[in-house]
Formats: sequence, structure tokens, C-alpha cells
Amino acid sequence: MTRIIDHPVLGRLENRNVISFQFDGNSYQAYDGESIAAALLANGIRKLRVHEESGSPRGFYCNIGHCMECRVTVNDHSNVRACLTVVENDMIIQSGKQLPNLLKKGGQSNE
Amino acid sequence: MNDVIVIGCGPAGLSGAIACVTYGLKVTIMDEFMKPGGRLLGQLHQEPTGDWWNGIKVSEQLYQQALNLGVNIRCGVSVYNLEKEDQMWKVYTSIGTFEAPFLLLATGAAEYPIPVPGWTLPGVMSIGAAQVMTNVHRVQIGKKGIIIGANILSFAILKELQLAGITVNHVVLPEKNAFSQNAGVPEEVMKSLLNAAHLAPSPLLRFGSSFMKNNWIRKMGLTFYPKKGMKVNGTPLLLRKAAVEIIGEDQVEGVRVIDIDINGNPIPGTESTYEVDFVCIAGGLYPLAELASVAGCPFQFIPELGGHVPHHSESMETPLPGLFVAGNITGIESGKIAIAQGTIAGLSIVKHARKGNNSIDNQLQQAIQNVHSVRKQAIIKFNPDIELGRSKMNELWESLYVKNETPGKMTG
Amino acid sequence: MANSENMIICRCEEVTYGQLRTTVDKHKCTARELKLRTRAGMGFCGGRTCRPTLDRVLDSFIPNFSPSEIPLKYQPPIRPVSFGRIGEIHD
Repeated sequence: MTRIIDHPVLGRLENRNVISFQFDGNSYQAYDGESIAAALLANGIRKLRVHEESGSPRGFYCNIGHCMECRVTVNDHSNVRACLTVVENDMIIQSGKQLPNLLKKGGQSNE
Repeated sequence: MNDVIVIGCGPAGLSGAIACVTYGLKVTIMDEFMKPGGRLLGQLHQEPTGDWWNGIKVSEQLYQQALNLGVNIRCGVSVYNLEKEDQMWKVYTSIGTFEAPFLLLATGAAEYPIPVPGWTLPGVMSIGAAQVMTNVHRVQIGKKGIIIGANILSFAILKELQLAGITVNHVVLPEKNAFSQNAGVPEEVMKSLLNAAHLAPSPLLRFGSSFMKNNWIRKMGLTFYPKKGMKVNGTPLLLRKAAVEIIGEDQVEGVRVIDIDINGNPIPGTESTYEVDFVCIAGGLYPLAELASVAGCPFQFIPELGGHVPHHSESMETPLPGLFVAGNITGIESGKIAIAQGTIAGLSIVKHARKGNNSIDNQLQQAIQNVHSVRKQAIIKFNPDIELGRSKMNELWESLYVKNETPGKMTG
Repeated sequence: MANSENMIICRCEEVTYGQLRTTVDKHKCTARELKLRTRAGMGFCGGRTCRPTLDRVLDSFIPNFSPSEIPLKYQPPIRPVSFGRIGEIHD
């Protein structure tokens, strides 16, 4: 993806500080002050985690902190919302992984 | 010590805080988002005068005004619980617990989801998410995409995406089912779009709004609705196609669509696939009132206001002492209404805190009148029956909470 | 809605339309019971995304049901919070 540098009404983005961060072991660049979700999308990354049980891929959905779909691990803190968290220099971000054998019956009654 | 804690740093919260601090109250605003402005950020539309309503600029002005007056503004703070103890509201947040005798909930709205098979794939987002990514973060949401859901919000944001150079290939309807309800029925969609003709998102609506209000002509119009759609600023609005499934391996690769009749019923054998890399789901907005619920505030379901709203008076007070509301939490309307409602709520708090002078009642009445006049001039109406919704809540408030002193009406 | 049986309604817990429908058919559930049986709306987001949809599911499954009858009840915490935070006083 690319950034929207020039905008006919909102104007041109001024030179911002470039910082670097890691996602799943790879290095990427971001602009100072932007959200993790925005920085990753600008680097072409949509998939932020997989569902803990099924492994189905997920990205941000609501982008304002309601849906929790974009939760990632940031500097060893788990379940951090990528859409509300400002990316920082040298941040280590990891995508959410599938977990083995979660205790869940999903709609099956056990009678 | 705070006199007032405002939750939500959008148009309602900021203007409410400004009104409070003007009368010497000590105010803190908290908001989950990293920047002040709430959903005003990202709003961008052209007024009939030709001037742009730029939500980012309006937010910045309100924010600076609040800062200069001494409002304490904390962004990136999540509130997770509220409790009342000894006349004080305790506000539990991600950075600790705060207390104040007065609380203004200005938490805005959330989006109605419309589930579509495949909607958990990365690249599928709510229409509001697309707006924030585009106008606030200035990152392209994709190369080419599709919007599912034709309504006021999706048209307003479609225009914003186009302005930012994002290609939206089509606007289609969701499949008719229990969740999409009227949003999947072309005739109902047409009706609601015609109600918003003043927004004039397309030549069809500008040109046809008056005579399309006639049922028979509308049905004719839909029956002969062009297969390739009517263009909205270059994006075809396909009122006779519904999204059946979003497909892709690790992210969105396409959307399967099917032709539908004017009642939304699929026409077998007409399926096709659009190749896209993003999908926006536009289901509309509902008041985000979870904190009012946690606080114990009673609610009423009022469809014209967008869903469940906390009981409140025209002065923006709730039945719970010290708890006030303003903005979309009270019903879905534009940012301008939210600003005007915030002022009411702020002045109400000033009155209850006994900080106002003799003219406070007068000012409160003026602020209430101002909401009515802003509403009359609104170019964006999310619900054409908004006035009805507002009067339903006022009547409810009168009947439940206003002591009727008229003799003869005093029944046990 | 033939292809909707496998459509996910609750994204967090991956509860499908079909699961909700068969649960209502089998147990004649109330809103609360349906959520407890299927875990729909009880995942990480606390129903922030699917709640209005669940209301509509009930609306379509249960005759004479009106959304106005659903009490709007949320349980704190309404946002994820770490244990370290709870009880901290800051003022």
C-alpha cells in the first residue's frame, strides 16, 4: 500500500520523522505518531493475527478500538490493539498465533 | 480534584468541556483514541456554500480552545468501568481511577455490522475504519475495492475515499436477510436515499428526488434500473446486485455478487465475481452507550435515534444525579449537532454545580434553541424522522421524571 | 439464506448463523441463554461488534419479539484491562 501524501483538501503531508519497528521478525519503517495498524498497512500487511482456535486470518475491522480484531503482542505485552497504539522506534510487534487445544465447545451443548 | 470528567474527546465532549471550564469548573477529558477530535476527525464534505467542512480543522479549533481554557485532555486512555460512591463518580481507566461529582458521557456511536460470509478476512473493514485510515492516518486502504451497503454514511465516506484517490469499483447491497433487513431491499434503499436527496450524492437523486417519491414511479425506476448502475462520482451504485460472499485465502481477493429483484430476492444463475483487495461494510451507526449502561442509567429503544439511548432530558441530564450525556450517545446526528448538544450539557452541569450566574437558565434555553436551528439547517440527516425520535425521548422524560403539578393529574 | 448457515455472526468466538439457529430451535432460548450456550457476544470484544446482530437474530427467530425488550446491559470491564490496573487510585 502507499500513503496518501497529497490530498486536495487536507493538504500535503509534511516531512515526518521516520522510525523503524519489527513485526514477526522483519524490520519495517513507519512515521512517528501513527498507529501500528496504519504503519503495517502502509507496509502492505493486512493480516495481524489468526484466530486463536481456528487459525483463520484476521486484520483490523473497526479501526477505533471496539472490535479487538487487531490485537497484537507489543514488546511482550499481549492483546494490544494495533489501531489505538502509536508505533514507536524499535518496537517489537508479534502477530497473534493459533493456540493448541483451547477449552471451548462453541455452540455444542454437553447434555 | 476534578469537578467534571468528560468521556469522549469528540465534538460533544470538547464543547461540553469548554462550556464547563468557562464557568470555572475543573475539567478532564478522556478518550481512547490517540488524537483529540473523536469521529469529527476524518469528516470532510462540501457545504452548499462550496466551503469544506473539514473535521480535522474543526477538531483542532475546539481542542486548542479547550486547552487554552485549561481543560486537561488525556488521549489514549480507555475507561472500563464507572461507579457512584458518596456523591462521587469513580471512573476506572487504563491509567488508574479518577473521581468527580459530574460526569459527561460523550462516547459517540459504533457501527452496525452486516455479517457477510467471509467477512472475517483481512481487508474487510467497517466503512468508518476506511474513513479513519484514509483521512486521519493517510494510508491507502487498497488498490480497488467495493462498498457493501448504500446509505448516507457510505455515500459520505465514498466521496471522501474518492477525494483521496482511492478507487471504489462498486457500491452493492448486502444480501437480504435478518441482519441486513431493509438495507438488502432495493426499494427501501431507494426510499431512504431519496430522503437524503439534499445530500445529492448522484445526479439520479438530484434530478429525480421529487418525482421518485411517487411509489409507482419509484418502482418503475427500479425495474428499469440500469444493470451497470448509476454513477456516483464515477463509482457505479448497483442497487440490483447483492454481495453473497467475500472470498480470499489470507486476505480479500474478491466478492461474489448476484442480481436481485426490487424486493431483494436473488435471481438464480446471475452470479459473478468482482476482483478487489478491500471491502467496506456500511451498516449505519448506533449510539455507543455501554458506559451509561454500566452506570445504571435506564434506556429506551428508539429506532429514529439509531437504537438504545439512555433516558435524557432536553438539557442533557440523565435520571442519575451528576450524569450527563451529549452527542451521538443520545441519537445519531451530525457533528454540528453534537457540538451544540455538548454546550447544553456543559451549561447544565454548570447550573447543577451552582456556578452559573442569574443568566444560566436563559443561556441553557438559548443552547437548546440552537440545537433546533442547527438541526433545521443540517445537510446530513442520518434519519429523516430524527425530530420524531427526539420528541419521543422528550415525552418519555416528561412522563417519567417531571413532577406534574397540575391539580387533578396528581394520581397516586 | 442458504449459504448463510456457515456465516460467522460472532467474530471473536466464531459462532455461525447455523449454530445460533439450531440452538434457538432446540432450547427456545432467551437472549441471555443463547449467549451463554453458544458464547456468541461473549468473546474478546464483549459483543461490541455482534451485539446488534444478535438482537436481530433473536428478532427473526422469536415471534413477537421486539428489540425494545432487550435490556441494554453491559458488564464491566467494558474494555480489556490488566490485573495490575484494577484498584489503583490516581487523582
